[in-house]
Amino acid sequence: MADATHNVIIGNGSAGNGAAITLRERDPDSRITIITMSSLPFYNRYDLPRVFRGCHDWREILVHPPEYYDDNRITLRRNSRVTDVDGRSRSITFAHNEVMHYDQLLVCAGGRGYLPEELSEYYGLMHGFHSFESATTTYRALPKGGTVIMLGGDMIGLDLARTLIDVGYRVMVLANEYTFWPHRIEADERAGFIAALQHMGLEVMDGVRPVAIEEGAAGKPARRVVFEGGDSVDGDVVIPFYGLVPTAEFMLGSGVDIERGLLVDPQLQTTDKHIWAAGDVCQIWSAADNEYRFYYGWTNVRQMGEVAARNVTGADEAFKGVGDERLHVGRDGHIQSPFWEY
Amino acid sequence: MAKKRESTDIQFAIIGSAGDGTIAAGDILKRAMAALGYKVIAFDIYPAEIRGFGKCISRVRVTTEQAYSLKRHSDVLVSLDDSYAIPHVGEVCDYGAVIYEASPIVRQPEGAHITAHIRPTQLPYGLNQREISERATSSARSRNIVILGYLAALYDIDPQAFRKVIAAKFRRKAPVVTTSNTAAFDAAYEVGKRVFKLDQGSLGEPVHADKGETATMMTGNGAIVRGCIDAGLDTFFGYPITPATTILERLAAELPKHGGRVLQTEDEISAISATIGAGYAGARAATATSGPGLALMAEMLGLGVMGEIPSVVFVSQRGGPSTGMPTKTEQSDLNMAVFGGAGDAQRIVLAPTNVDGCYRTAGKAFEMAEQYQTPVIVLMDLYLSNRYETVVPPAKNPFAPNLNKGMDARRGDGAYQRYQRADDHVSPRALPGDEAGMHTVTGLEHNEFGKPSDLPENHMAMSLKRHEKLKAALKHPDFTICKRFGDEGPVDVGILGWGSTFGEILEAMFAAQDEGLRCSAMKVVMLSPLPEQQIAAFMDDCGAVLVPELNYEGQLANLISGALGRPVTRLNRATGAPMQVEEILAEVRRLAQARAA
Repeated sequence: MADATHNVIIGNGSAGNGAAITLRERDPDSRITIITMSSLPFYNRYDLPRVFRGCHDWREILVHPPEYYDDNRITLRRNSRVTDVDGRSRSITFAHNEVMHYDQLLVCAGGRGYLPEELSEYYGLMHGFHSFESATTTYRALPKGGTVIMLGGDMIGLDLARTLIDVGYRVMVLANEYTFWPHRIEADERAGFIAALQHMGLEVMDGVRPVAIEEGAAGKPARRVVFEGGDSVDGDVVIPFYGLVPTAEFMLGSGVDIERGLLVDPQLQTTDKHIWAAGDVCQIWSAADNEYRFYYGWTNVRQMGEVAARNVTGADEAFKGVGDERLHVGRDGHIQSPFWEY
Repeated sequence: MAKKRESTDIQFAIIGSAGDGTIAAGDILKRAMAALGYKVIAFDIYPAEIRGFGKCISRVRVTTEQAYSLKRHSDVLVSLDDSYAIPHVGEVCDYGAVIYEASPIVRQPEGAHITAHIRPTQLPYGLNQREISERATSSARSRNIVILGYLAALYDIDPQAFRKVIAAKFRRKAPVVTTSNTAAFDAAYEVGKRVFKLDQGSLGEPVHADKGETATMMTGNGAIVRGCIDAGLDTFFGYPITPATTILERLAAELPKHGGRVLQTEDEISAISATIGAGYAGARAATATSGPGLALMAEMLGLGVMGEIPSVVFVSQRGGPSTGMPTKTEQSDLNMAVFGGAGDAQRIVLAPTNVDGCYRTAGKAFEMAEQYQTPVIVLMDLYLSNRYETVVPPAKNPFAPNLNKGMDARRGDGAYQRYQRADDHVSPRALPGDEAGMHTVTGLEHNEFGKPSDLPENHMAMSLKRHEKLKAALKHPDFTICKRFGDEGPVDVGILGWGSTFGEILEAMFAAQDEGLRCSAMKVVMLSPLPEQQIAAFMDDCGAVLVPELNYEGQLANLISGALGRPVTRLNRATGAPMQVEEILAEVRRLAQARAA
């Protein structure tokens, strides 16, 4: 195996795992390594709302049992943060100072929650929902029937909100231009979608601008969100949902072109012939739109991973995203996003 | 605070390089856990070299129920040095934790960091050991204390127990040592409290506190020392040798407080000679050594047998032959203990199986040496000498102070017979200075007066006397010469064991019973004279008899086969490491299946 091709995948989400198993199927002799910053094997992030339904053991939301990796001869490197990629020497450097060689690199690092700069100083007073650990921590901070204040309210947050309402929590959405992200809502549609949220049981405050987050007063909920103008609302936890930004900093200096995400052609290859990208981390060239653009959602991301893996192993296949990207209101009065169907 | 589990069985393995403080960390951990009332079994592995390189492992098993050995699979592995810890990652159980340095300062090639080896079924915890230590103490030297703070937080263990042990451990050093190490502990504890626990990490309530017992923690060698002191040891002569050295060191510190004397002699020959001399003078006397030392003592032990002089020799075995593997365990000196030396020189050989047994055997060895006027060898090994267990000291001293069968000075007829024939074959013993007790002592064969005699009938009679008197030891009061555990009556497989391996044997037996096999185990504590009757009765009940030993030749198996003329199945390991429960269990299964077939 010393001469086997080493395919390295940075990212252990649906794109990375879709790529890994596709690589294994198409290249049985290759070495496959998945690198992730997470402590946990691959779990379905779309399942994270289950934490608020009583699922407190991460084993219950694993997509594959841990033995899956051994069974498929996939090396999983957890708790491993990549700090640097050198395209010329085809090497990766980890935060723990280890250097790893790759023959083909698939970057499926996904994205992380965006936080506007003016709120960054209040990061320590906010809760998270980006991982099992952060979701569980948020759950533990939330008293029964407590109040969740969602800043922004992207589709990740709104998906969570549906569960929170269902299990008896109060949800306040401080709506702004990030509400419904990644969908682009036309101005004349917005009121309808806001009404749908209210129909779902969410309390929506549209047009308010949070400027500060404070500890709650004694005997009051644990947090207070202060608006421009001085008004405020109280809640037990405050979670920002301002959409995602690609996790691509470690690729700076790698030699590949980066705009907001890694720029790839429709075959998902970067400007380095040994580096590919898939998922929320990449912007794909769209001839129709005449721009590099993002594609979101489980179906798109998974498909990207598989397409990239096929192209790594000799195919010449262009990625085709989910056709329908429109947000709509279902017969039950709830908003529905094709991105969140899986 | 996390909910407490009902019971606890968790094994920690701390692995590092010599100089990392690995053994010290394990020591603090086990003392803290014992102080909290948990049962603890711990064993350290370290290189023969003093410092600077070589692998150190400290394993600590913490339980609320009685345990008898370390487990093959640890629940938590802490790496202080990945190069040494990586080969042991596979020993961590499923959903066990691996804690490691998250930010090594040295650039490493692929695979050199432990994250490359942690399996998906294991839980990784990266910890900035060096950074936390440097931040708290301005030095990276307290990394070993940092990991303890992290463990305390991760497993919801009372940090005060650690702080007390740290203070006690460094009490003889400058106060800043305690202060800085406590600061390192506290800093890591705070980090650990904030980390997300990937698994339920709390321990069950300890047991000793519930029962009001005052448990203490000892090594096998420590228990030997305690037993010696409680038995009224008068003089100890020793020459340092791993793994027996700590007996000499601790007695040197403790025995003078109890009115005794310790002398470090120039070699092992001097040590045994002085011991026999002191025994001759009526003192309770002992020495301690390892296999190479026992080899040097063989001739003088023969003198002790011939002169019928009480003495006690503690032998902690290590890997042999010759210098062998000084810091690795082995049970390969049974032959030498039982048979070593010139002539028919039978003596009593005892082999305790656990730390509590070390205490009792040490004290009883002095009783037997006096009562049967013979050298007594107490056979341990490195695994037993160095392993820690929590024990509950007896409420009162269990050892008889003086069992010497003295001469009747009133007879005073000038015909004192030091080796007088008697029904129990034990002759009245005069001590130097006893009035009318003048007699000759020699290594030559002698008559009843002690005068040299090579007459055929005399040699035959004296040989019989020297052997027959030892049979009474098989019924020595309040001493377990052998004991059966497990199922009564006929069983599929019986396991015969001795010494330190018996803990693993017991655990294997319990596991076999859990699998529905009928299984028993017998520990043989008295190896000479051999309790043949009890062993034969046990073997009568066994479909197959397994003898696991940490030696290559199967020395107990040979002893039993030779004495009883019955076949046994051998399980021999000479790896320098303790026997694995799983190895014994696998063999038990195989024998049971073969029998069923």
